[in-house]
Amino acid sequence: MDPHDLTAAYALDALDPEEAAAYERHLSQCEECREQLAELNETAAALAFGAVAPAPPERLRASILDAAAAERSNVVPLLRRRWVARGLAVAAAAAACIVVGLAVSLSQSSKTQFTSMSVSRDASGVTIMHVAGLPAAPAGKTYEAWVIPPGGAPRPAALFPGGVSMTSRLPGTVPQGAIVAVTVERAGGSNKPTTTPILSTPT
Amino acid sequence: MRDARISDAVNRQLAHLSDEALVALAARSEQSALAELYDRYGRSAYGLALRVLRDQALAEDAVQEAFLTVWRTASRFMPERGKASTWILTLVHRRAVDAVRREQRRRADSLDPADEPAVEGAEEDAFLHLQRERVQAALRSLPDAQREALELAYYGGFSQSELAERLGQPLGTIKSRMFGGLSRMRELLGEPGTETSWTPTT
Repeated sequence: MDPHDLTAAYALDALDPEEAAAYERHLSQCEECREQLAELNETAAALAFGAVAPAPPERLRASILDAAAAERSNVVPLLRRRWVARGLAVAAAAAACIVVGLAVSLSQSSKTQFTSMSVSRDASGVTIMHVAGLPAAPAGKTYEAWVIPPGGAPRPAALFPGGVSMTSRLPGTVPQGAIVAVTVERAGGSNKPTTTPILSTPT
Repeated sequence: MRDARISDAVNRQLAHLSDEALVALAARSEQSALAELYDRYGRSAYGLALRVLRDQALAEDAVQEAFLTVWRTASRFMPERGKASTWILTLVHRRAVDAVRREQRRRADSLDPADEPAVEGAEEDAFLHLQRERVQAALRSLPDAQREALELAYYGGFSQSELAERLGQPLGTIKSRMFGGLSRMRELLGEPGTETSWTPTT
């Protein structure tokens, strides 16, 4: 039996255990099948949305979270310990700032890496953005930060190259409820965003 | 004071994170990330498990096991290999299929799609309803033999050998129906790779 033929059946979980094991052994040696499987898996998973989806019982959520907590307790959440701490270091420098927005994202680089953005505002209304873990922008490109007031158009707020942590004061006032977002733009920046934000946070 | 504010900010922020970022947070034992993933996909997961298993208690078990697998193995998830939602629903499906194969007797029941479990009381979420219509329409447009193979395999949990026997067709025919049907579904549902699972909230 040619294992190449089994990709669709594997994606549909339609192989017997022995067939599945044999296919998985083949998969470890066949890049073509891995690529095809990634595609077919995605389509198979889309079939999940074809089923009627009644709300699960409330107890299911609690049961899952309780069991998860019992397995691996979350004593000191890293998110707060490290990423917010970075934002706080910046906030502390600006005195009496409050972190009003925080975004965390995975970079697309082959090495999994976190990117975090925190937005802090002090009592006088000065808003500071701190971005860490963002790889350097591709050649001919720059990162551009935007302030998007509620119901308003995005306003260019900062240009930066990435690659190193960046702290920037956002110009003007950043109204309550505004979104701060970062896009990749051509070198020199744009007047309005031309790509989907890679980071975005409400404030 | 500051901690409470930060905690609120973190929880509020989760809603704006990509599924993949949530998985990465779950890998670092952030329970609220697991909760957010459940809030995004728990309902679809339960609907899928219920469709395959036709039993609420078994469906709940399958969903719970799948989400605990997410929790346990989140650090091994590779975003470059596929979307987090695909991974989660694949885990749910595998659990459900394993369970239905253990419960052989249930599969003697009718597999008529019209015989799906009724939605109890509450109406379906509007977005999920639209998604379901889209998938159902795509399925309806497939040649009957391909649709039958996909539905029996994916929703019925039948293996390809069982399908060959049940439908009285050579295994090769079943394989090509599944491959043809899935490939056609991929075209009909658009290029899933370009679909963004994360859009900034405005």
